[in-house]
Amino acid sequence: MNDTTLNSPRWSWPRLTGLQQWLRQPVCVIGILVLGLLIVSLLALMQGPVALSSVDVLQSLWATISGAEISSAGDWVVRELRLPRVLLALLVGAGLAVAGVATQGVFRNPLADPGLIGVSSGAALAAVAVIVLKDTWLQEWSQLTGPLALPIAAFLGGLVVTMMMYRLGTWGGQTHIATLLLAGVAINVLAGAATGVLTYMADDQQLRTMTFWSMGSLAYGKWDEIQVLGLLIGLPMLLCLRLVRPLNALLMGENVANHLGFDVQHTKRWLLGMAALMVGSGVAVAGMIGFIGLVVPHLLRLMIGPDHRLLLPLSALAGGLLLLVADTLARTWMPPSDLPVGLMMALIGGPVFLLLLMQQVRGKG
Amino acid sequence: MLVAQELSYRIGNRYLLHPLNLVVQPGERVALLGANGAGKSTLLSCISGDVRHYGGQIWMASHDLARCPRTYRARHLAVMPQKVELAFPFTAHQVVLMGRAPHGDEKTTLHWQQQVMELTQVWHLRDRPYSRLSGGEQQRVQLARVLLQIWDATSVRADGEYYLLLDECTSALDPAHQHTVMNAVSQLCQHHIGILAVMHDVALAASWADRVMLLKDGRMIASGNVDLLTDSSLMEQCYDLPEELASQYARSNRNWLESRHL
Repeated sequence: MNDTTLNSPRWSWPRLTGLQQWLRQPVCVIGILVLGLLIVSLLALMQGPVALSSVDVLQSLWATISGAEISSAGDWVVRELRLPRVLLALLVGAGLAVAGVATQGVFRNPLADPGLIGVSSGAALAAVAVIVLKDTWLQEWSQLTGPLALPIAAFLGGLVVTMMMYRLGTWGGQTHIATLLLAGVAINVLAGAATGVLTYMADDQQLRTMTFWSMGSLAYGKWDEIQVLGLLIGLPMLLCLRLVRPLNALLMGENVANHLGFDVQHTKRWLLGMAALMVGSGVAVAGMIGFIGLVVPHLLRLMIGPDHRLLLPLSALAGGLLLLVADTLARTWMPPSDLPVGLMMALIGGPVFLLLLMQQVRGKG
Repeated sequence: MLVAQELSYRIGNRYLLHPLNLVVQPGERVALLGANGAGKSTLLSCISGDVRHYGGQIWMASHDLARCPRTYRARHLAVMPQKVELAFPFTAHQVVLMGRAPHGDEKTTLHWQQQVMELTQVWHLRDRPYSRLSGGEQQRVQLARVLLQIWDATSVRADGEYYLLLDECTSALDPAHQHTVMNAVSQLCQHHIGILAVMHDVALAASWADRVMLLKDGRMIASGNVDLLTDSSLMEQCYDLPEELASQYARSNRNWLESRHL
């Protein structure tokens, strides 16, 4: 029995041994990602209702960097519509992917995606509550926090759920993934119901905003948001990068990480907090976009292995790339309609999640 | 010296460990024995720092373990847990490499990595995913990781005292591997590493240890030379064995002890 299980890998990359070996080289993966980012960004800037040539786009980019005035309609489209949207996709995607890596590491399971365990819906619920109730119950909150009301609320909503999931799913330093996922289902249902109640209290304009929220869209990216987001996603990411060594040790268990001299509580608290911040600020600007934190780390682990020193930074690159591809497809697939990118991601991510789940079930059985 | 003074541990009013004293000298092999639930693992987790709110004090060399810096503790005290599961596809070599995490010199200690992996007979498994190894192979990989953590002790870099805690580290091994592993561990004693091992198998303890400590219901009932294991009344008391069985165990332990001098 052992022989058959040893010789037939549960699931692996298609059998192209030479290519497979080559793909596993970190340098090569980095090269592909960077090249992909450049090409897809360029394509994303060119595609759309107003088709632009690569020369136009490059000229506009140069004008943006050098700070020149906007000179034409095409220039305006690139600099005020598409470039912010591309940057938003890169930032949000990178943040969600790194948040996925961090939560999976802390929960010690590759299925623990912030979306699946309810962090995103907690953040979305808090954000929706702020939208709907900002003139009534939450008036003081929105006055107190001003323009940051939404991101902070989303962060807090995400953080509350993260802490709750940690209490629910982990005891004695062991995470019970079934409990975690089921609790995530419960949280998603609860948050969905609460959001549903809020929709009855909302007016037309609020309703439209909320619909975008629940499906996820990058259409509202403006330069102001991007500056804030750059800070709210960039800083946590740097902090996570500093914690890659303890995160590696944590995968072997909290006791082992402790024996290896790492401050386990400190590490977990920071990683989960930073993950909630990245997910929360992503949700505040772009709504619910799921599965990036699941798909990206999974694919990268197949290629470069689970070492977080490499996995975490590369997840940022790959997460940005994936969301950018999904968003570009979403807005050019059925013109003139702009599909919510959250739907695109669910179409891509759902099957990967099922695959992973089967893999885990069979691995245990 | 690794010293525990009046070490105790309780949850609420229930003592899992009554106040006891313990000493492990550098280069000494001490086996910690007792029936299930006697408090062996609790004692070990107090020393390893998994349990924080213990009573009494634990000293390593002249450092109070509760207060000394984490990195110092990790560089001088390694702990081998009973079982380590990994849900992520690390290779055996990557797992062993984590033993260098407290030192941050993974890249410059390649020869040590090979040395410890050959010592625990897992070098040939280095590129295999850890989670696909058998239980015994996983334990040997973990042992290699733990040895690598304090391997400085064997080199000119040695500074201060080094200790190794083993928590039933041979439970998944067949007899041949049990003895290979314990012999490998014994080599560390030549480098003045003190070893405290929780052991399940009395015969293995008799064939390996310098000193033994017997725990029962959270109390230390006996501590001294390994010869103690040949005392049938002590075996009877410690493990609640019928007289007949206890004397058989004592006899077999005597055989093991005699075979060591051959």
